[in-house]
Amino acid sequence: MIQKILIANRGEIAVRIIRACREMGIASVAVYSEADAKALHVQLADEAICIGPASAAESYLDMEKIISATIVSGADAIHPGFGFLSENCRFAELCEQCNITFIGPPSQVISRLGNKQEARNTMVSAKVPVIPGTSAAVYDKKEAAALAEEIGYPVIIKAVLGGGGKGMRVAESPEEFAGCFQTAQKEAEASFGDRAMYLEHFLIRPRHIEFQILADRFGHVVHLGERDCSVQRNHQKMIEESPSPAVSEKLRKQMGEAAVKAAEAAGYVNAGTIEFLLDDKNQFYFMEMNTRIQVEHPVTEWVTGIDIVKEQIRIADGKKLSYGQKDIRLTGHAIECRINAENPKKGFRPSPGTITDMYLPGGKGIRVDTAIYSGCEIPPYYDSMIAKLIVWARSRKEAVCKMQSALGEVAIEGVDTNVDYQYGILHHADFLSGDINIGFIEDMEKSREL
Amino acid sequence: MDLENMFKKKVVPARTDISQAGNKPEVPEGLLRKCNKCGKAIIAEEAKEQNYICPKCGGYFRIPAYRRIELLADEDSFEEWDIELDTDNPLGFKGYPEKLESLRKKTGLREAVVTGHIRIEGMEAAVGVCDGQFLMASMGRAVGEKITRLVERAEKESLPVVLFTCSGGARMQEGMVSLMQMAKTSAALKRHSDAGNLSVNVLTDPTTGGVTASFAMLGDIILAEPKALIGFAGPRVIEQTIRQKLPKGFQRSEFLLEHGFVDRIVERHSLRETLARILKLHSRNESKKIQELPKEEKRKIQKKAVRLRDIPAWERVQLSRKADRPSGNDYIQALFPDFIELHGDRCYGDDKAIAGGIAHFHGMPVTVIAQTKGNTTKENIERNFGMPAPEGYRKALRLMKQAEKFHRPVICFVDTPGAFCGLEAEERGQGEAIARNLYEMSSLQTPILSVVVGEGGSGGALALAAADEVWMLENAVYSILSPEGFASILWKDSGRAEEAARLMKMTSGDLLEQHMVEEVIPEPEELNVQTLGSVTEQLEIKISAFLEEYTSLNMEALLDRRYQRFRGM
Repeated sequence: MIQKILIANRGEIAVRIIRACREMGIASVAVYSEADAKALHVQLADEAICIGPASAAESYLDMEKIISATIVSGADAIHPGFGFLSENCRFAELCEQCNITFIGPPSQVISRLGNKQEARNTMVSAKVPVIPGTSAAVYDKKEAAALAEEIGYPVIIKAVLGGGGKGMRVAESPEEFAGCFQTAQKEAEASFGDRAMYLEHFLIRPRHIEFQILADRFGHVVHLGERDCSVQRNHQKMIEESPSPAVSEKLRKQMGEAAVKAAEAAGYVNAGTIEFLLDDKNQFYFMEMNTRIQVEHPVTEWVTGIDIVKEQIRIADGKKLSYGQKDIRLTGHAIECRINAENPKKGFRPSPGTITDMYLPGGKGIRVDTAIYSGCEIPPYYDSMIAKLIVWARSRKEAVCKMQSALGEVAIEGVDTNVDYQYGILHHADFLSGDINIGFIEDMEKSREL
Repeated sequence: MDLENMFKKKVVPARTDISQAGNKPEVPEGLLRKCNKCGKAIIAEEAKEQNYICPKCGGYFRIPAYRRIELLADEDSFEEWDIELDTDNPLGFKGYPEKLESLRKKTGLREAVVTGHIRIEGMEAAVGVCDGQFLMASMGRAVGEKITRLVERAEKESLPVVLFTCSGGARMQEGMVSLMQMAKTSAALKRHSDAGNLSVNVLTDPTTGGVTASFAMLGDIILAEPKALIGFAGPRVIEQTIRQKLPKGFQRSEFLLEHGFVDRIVERHSLRETLARILKLHSRNESKKIQELPKEEKRKIQKKAVRLRDIPAWERVQLSRKADRPSGNDYIQALFPDFIELHGDRCYGDDKAIAGGIAHFHGMPVTVIAQTKGNTTKENIERNFGMPAPEGYRKALRLMKQAEKFHRPVICFVDTPGAFCGLEAEERGQGEAIARNLYEMSSLQTPILSVVVGEGGSGGALALAAADEVWMLENAVYSILSPEGFASILWKDSGRAEEAARLMKMTSGDLLEQHMVEEVIPEPEELNVQTLGSVTEQLEIKISAFLEEYTSLNMEALLDRRYQRFRGM
């Protein structure tokens, strides 16, 4: 029986987990850096231990310190939240070695899914659709062109050691291919000193659709429906909703089954998320699996009525899932907006500081997950997300109206926020119609509509 | 708003569940360890995976000998020698055999050093690695004997020797027998060296006592790992003797580098590559011939008659001193891309006004020595504005002697306002250092080329220019002293420097006429790092021709020509 959980995180997710602990009769231990001495999670937890200076590397990312804090406090489990150590297989392994329950999947599963190639191979053998692409590195232009033909145009050419867009080109047609391949390879060689390339079918403006799954230790896996996270800026999600306006009941069943298969193939245990890309022909492709609680879990909680954090703790404690797939129904529509301390007018530059005054909305169908309070400090060392505003209503249309109204009530003084920017999105015609894809924000910014 | 004690908390239940005591979270033995450098807890496995380096502070831990060899050797290339050799108990020291036996069990080692044959990136060598787990790698008869046998066998097989040192010093339990190992190992290394073989040391933490005072300090090239303790007397002994606190960093690798006893400090992750490069530069199998440049290109340059622009002498003096004029280091970078700098005079210090080292020039190993100024004020202060101290000349001579041993031509670049003029320079014998270079260079058994690229300031320049040929860049100058100094001595008026410059006959054209230099290299309109290519292009071809010509001379003819070059002046 888990009796005491150490929460190896900060901010709103730490608060979220502490609340779940309290409701379940489990004692909670917060850890914090010197910069977070006055943070809400420190005050709310039953105990709190300072684990080092402000820099994350010396506090929230310092595995040895967190293990020590766990042993010292007598906690028997660690909830890693998201970010920081949550998907670090070494940390999970360390917990296992020290007989501490890691609230998440086994270290081996994290490791397997963290390796892109291995994850892809697992999915291929489980017959989960993956984006068609090469399975080994290509060096030769001619050989690559033949492979591109097999994969189907448009094709994206990427450096094996790639990153930051270097050594990456999209070829729309066979005519363009040779030139694109050459430039990409040259760039790759200049940037990474390596000529190894791989090819992938390129999806034009797909949607980002992810499925929440829960898996217990006894091999029962269920999915909790999808979340549409297509509103993204620089790969950072901004708005998430469930269900997706683009997913029909039939497609949900198909994708959900694929998600469950994927989790089963990976030997998954605990809560996890399968991310898919969905193209305009309703073809979906496995992208990756996130082996942790997600920021956007509240929208799923609201449409399913399931408390995912509590389920995580129960599963980690060796309990069976108390329901099957047929018991899960999506009711109504939920939307989440992420509120960040940043300035959209200055290139989304983070805006740390002191919150001098604030007012947050409430009422039926409105949930705010946050760790800010009047007078609290937003330190510059960590992620800039300070709150999540979640609404629920019977229909998407009603939920959008509720979100518009709620965003209009948010008042945060002392730091810049993206509230007005979000308010703009919530009034954009494409968002209102639900006709969006992962290029939405980029397009809007280009046409200066936002 | 202060939230302190505002919220109601849950009462923490006491942990009374004894039945689950076995499942209580605890850190298993050996999983975590404390870094002895930064004091932080680290995962032991992780440090091992990262070359035994602390993942938190980057501090170096000691590496077991077999692990070190594994990190170094080409796969399956290590063949151990003298495995069974171990020590007797020469003093009949009580408890010593038992101690050795328990250490053997604990460490899996037979003695404190592992020796054998290794290949590093294809390069063969005889290798010896000390292991601190075994009585702090102290040197008793077995250690001395294994090292000696290794070196003797290397001599017989004409192999280079690479020694990784780590030791507390002599082995107390073996008394005088232990002391004698110092002389024994040193003598073996001398024979190995006299036969023309290379030895390289890698000093690791800690290298002290009798090992420092014997085989550790005798390598042709001495490398050290960062922050390793290296010294003869231990710091504690010194503190107790002189009753003073020792300064921070005393007897660390960086301290030794600064004091001229270490050629280079090499990070652990680049050790293998550095050693391979050094071994390649000294390989007996590799062709030492210059790879020919295209003939056509060669002719083109040779045909081009050198026409020097008409610039007044004083202006040339000023051009030679321009802040952005490329200095020695820039020529090294442009002409010798695989240059490995070697530091120190093995006596007092490392003078940054002279950079020296080894490199390939079109496939031929060469020794390069360059006086060099800085590009910024900060760098200039570090390099003392290109004015070498005695230790600079002594470093140059040390490297030239090594060039002689390994039959490498020497290429010098001269750019100095003059030898450093100061109290310390005189204390350490500036005059003696310059004289010694002229004396030794006159009979150095390998070709020497010297190129004056900027200022050729008097004796300070000549100490690197007692060469077979001396070349000058068009706007370089070479003189008995500065025109300002000349004017002030002769006319008591340094303001007449311009006039002096003309009279002194110090430009490249003047000196070519007087046969003091053999070649003048034309310069572009503005010579700086961007336009340096047009000069190094010519140098590349001319140096190739020089090397081809001079390396084909027999030694007697070479030395006679050099003698006559100055004899006639």
